[in-house]
Amino acid sequence: MSEPSSSLPAAAPFPPQPSDPGPPSDRGQPSERGVKQTERPHPLTPLIRGWVVLLAILIGFGRQLIPDGSGSEGFDGWDFRWVLVGVGAILMVAALAGFLTWYFTRYVIDDEELRIETGAIFKNSKRVPFERVQSVDIIQQLAARIFGLAELRIEVGTGDSTIKLRYLTRGQAASLRDYLLSRAHGDRVSRREPGSTVLPSALTDLGVEDQPLVTVGPQRLVGSFLLSSEFLVSIAMLIVVLVVTTAFGVVAFALAALIPLAIGLVSMIGRRVFQMFNFTLAQSARGVRVTRGLFNLTSQSIPVNRIQGVRIIQPILWRRFGWYRVDVNVLGYGSAEGSDNDTNATSVLVPAADARDLDITLSRILPGFDLSAVELHSSPRRSRWLRPFDFWTLRYGADERVVITEHGWLTHVRNLVPHAKTQSVRLSQGPIQRRLRVADVHLDITRGPVTPIAHQLDETAARELTMTQLDRARLARAADSERRPVDRTDADAHSQRTVLARFGLSESDRLGSGGESEVYALGPDRVLRVYRGTHEAAPAMIRQLTSLYSRWQGSPIGLEVPQILDGGEIAGRSFSVDRRMSGHSLSGWLRLAETGPRQLALLSYLDAAWAMQRLPSPVPGPARLLGVDAPRQFPSLAALLSDQLLRVIPQSQQRLEHDIPNVSRVWDELQEWLRDRHGEPRLVHGDFCPPNCYVSVLPDGRPVVSGVGDFSPHTLHADPMMDVAGAVIFLELEPYAAAADDARWLTGQAYARFGPELEQVISMYRLYYGFYFSNTFEFDPDTYGWCQRQLTR
Amino acid sequence: MDDLFAPPAYEWKRLPPGFLRIRRLSDAIGWLVLFTIPAVILLIVTDLWWLSALLWVVALVIIGLRFHFLRRSCGSWGYVEREDDLYITHGVWFRSLTAVPYGRMQLVEVESGPLERLFNLASVTLKTASPGTDARIPGLDPAEAARLRDQLTELGEAHASGL
Repeated sequence: MSEPSSSLPAAAPFPPQPSDPGPPSDRGQPSERGVKQTERPHPLTPLIRGWVVLLAILIGFGRQLIPDGSGSEGFDGWDFRWVLVGVGAILMVAALAGFLTWYFTRYVIDDEELRIETGAIFKNSKRVPFERVQSVDIIQQLAARIFGLAELRIEVGTGDSTIKLRYLTRGQAASLRDYLLSRAHGDRVSRREPGSTVLPSALTDLGVEDQPLVTVGPQRLVGSFLLSSEFLVSIAMLIVVLVVTTAFGVVAFALAALIPLAIGLVSMIGRRVFQMFNFTLAQSARGVRVTRGLFNLTSQSIPVNRIQGVRIIQPILWRRFGWYRVDVNVLGYGSAEGSDNDTNATSVLVPAADARDLDITLSRILPGFDLSAVELHSSPRRSRWLRPFDFWTLRYGADERVVITEHGWLTHVRNLVPHAKTQSVRLSQGPIQRRLRVADVHLDITRGPVTPIAHQLDETAARELTMTQLDRARLARAADSERRPVDRTDADAHSQRTVLARFGLSESDRLGSGGESEVYALGPDRVLRVYRGTHEAAPAMIRQLTSLYSRWQGSPIGLEVPQILDGGEIAGRSFSVDRRMSGHSLSGWLRLAETGPRQLALLSYLDAAWAMQRLPSPVPGPARLLGVDAPRQFPSLAALLSDQLLRVIPQSQQRLEHDIPNVSRVWDELQEWLRDRHGEPRLVHGDFCPPNCYVSVLPDGRPVVSGVGDFSPHTLHADPMMDVAGAVIFLELEPYAAAADDARWLTGQAYARFGPELEQVISMYRLYYGFYFSNTFEFDPDTYGWCQRQLTR
Repeated sequence: MDDLFAPPAYEWKRLPPGFLRIRRLSDAIGWLVLFTIPAVILLIVTDLWWLSALLWVVALVIIGLRFHFLRRSCGSWGYVEREDDLYITHGVWFRSLTAVPYGRMQLVEVESGPLERLFNLASVTLKTASPGTDARIPGLDPAEAARLRDQLTELGEAHASGL
């Protein structure tokens, strides 16, 4: 078999976007650059697929041949010959069909496209954009497993059936999987990347890079099965049928009911025990990987961002053991439901997890999410008239990323839906519900086991949830797309992966990214900060920050500041391991908070801005504290701030002159005011805004700003009023609806605290920050628009 | 609470009167057929003509009641296009309010059955990746249906986001 890309020119560093289908005539046809080499599955394929047919025939005829006493007429000699001929003919036909299917199946998976061609008479060519790939599974049926082969299954989302490639060698299947998953994440890697392929074995399907997170031993698996409601209900029905029929003396009639029950039971054991045997959930480079199976070995790789919903269920008998089952909705998996082909992908993420496993699992699939921190609201007591058996279990709640709905007593169910995955929201109310003034809220997500419904909410709460959920979804999607890396170069992506791999992390652990670095969760109390490859002075910056932060530890300003625990360089990329700040990002918190608590938090935010100046500075006098030439001291405040601005203005000057008619007058006005501005220099954060603040809720329910992070080259030793002004000004940039009102309100509060002369200070620093961030015109039109508004006020 | 199903800061757009007519017509035909068949059989097989008459009377009463109910039912439908999402409400006994963000739309369908065509009406259905999304607006004026389809498709493209 030939290498698929060998006939292509060496992959260009930026291959064309796969979403661009090209001219229609080009699709599925040899491209103009020459005939593309397509591959066929492994030549043993027809044999292995024929194996199943042979087995079925043998069983079918075998049953006839075995004398069962029901009738004495077996096959006599003459009959038997004909049977053999018949079997032979069937086998021939099956073999021919198998061969033809194999012969006409061709596929291309290279840097440009994913295309499968099938069909001898009705040709079918399917080309799938890489970004539509939802998950990639490798299934080793027993027969294939013996020959070292595997089936590759690619789920491509709604409306399309699963793409099945059978059979490939195990190594080939694994390398294609890794490649497809990388492409699905938007990384433009090349198909032939040395060293990225890990050969799975016949016994387990974990690569060496995969870190097992949760394993389910046979004891827990069988125990949880025996105690599951499904199993107990079947057993109970079996007993009831037997008892009733025995009591009436008509056991024979029971057979009609017993046979389907028994079949159901056997398939249930197959599904829940044999298929789940040796279950391992692992962290892989691209999300999570499930491997399982006693006879048929299945490995499912699910990119974390393709998980549409999560369900945690606990049958009542599991409670004393503290077991949970975790199911997920993934596009494509849902459609497999109902057919009982036992090699199907299941939506089970962990069949039986204990509390620790549950924490680990959730931390991987919803990084940074804390299940216990979400405030849950119970449905009102009056809903007992409608749900007498579980009204006390009906609860719902939402934080900045996830909605949770809970219900059930015999089987307790918790549904978790990331806001960004909400498809639509439905509010419904029947006549009895109207009397009781309650309503249901349905969150529609893609097909699967997770069906989140907030049952029997108070009308006001239901309305509130419905109306705000779409806004939350929109904000979450916007935040997600900010978080997604776009167009990293190959080298950059590779070094980034190397750094992450060293720490056992993946892209899914990303907490956020800024202009200088990207931050990943490294356990509950540490984060990894990877500086961008383009950052010119990252090692110096890390040294400066380390010394600055260590000087501030235990300083009496009552605010948490960052701490660098370790730093270094891997693959040419600088990184530091920082202590994780406690609390939530103020920016995210504000979006969801009610007016009352929000104002309390904002007052505390203003206090924190004022408190920044009490952090000790390493140098006296006006100075820049971080950056290439830092610490650099200046003779006056005006000199320092002008120098700060002049680092930016050359890039944006032309644009500013074009957009703002009298920009030079504005510039002069600011310079003049700065020259007259005197006072003892103090520490200034320089970018004091909600995304850089952390909020915690005190035991009495009061929210306070508990920490400030992200000190950067904006950090100065200068006018302490800069942060107070910045706090008020930058609040306007927050994306939540009431931000403008809040900014006005906070300005009023600031005037009351610092006196009316603050008005001029704020208006001047508006100009300063307007100039300072004006280079955003190149990449962030929203912020640039805001800068324009500051300069034209 | 009366405003549980109120539109968010907008007025509902209601459906044209043709929708009520079509619903009444199809409803009346259904009930008439249902009662006429046994009535006719009774008339032919037995000579209990009064029983047949009674059946027809019952049918007429039911139709009358349904006419009254359908007025409310058809009047309960409403939709409103906001900047980022579409809201649809309907139902008298079982009320529902569906909100679909434009960015989540997978496709928009315009349908018009034979009866609907007779009354010059069409329905618009919005499909998302979720089978649960119940976003259908029946009984629209074809021009409005076409406008809605174009508008929704355009907005859907503008707001589109991956799954």
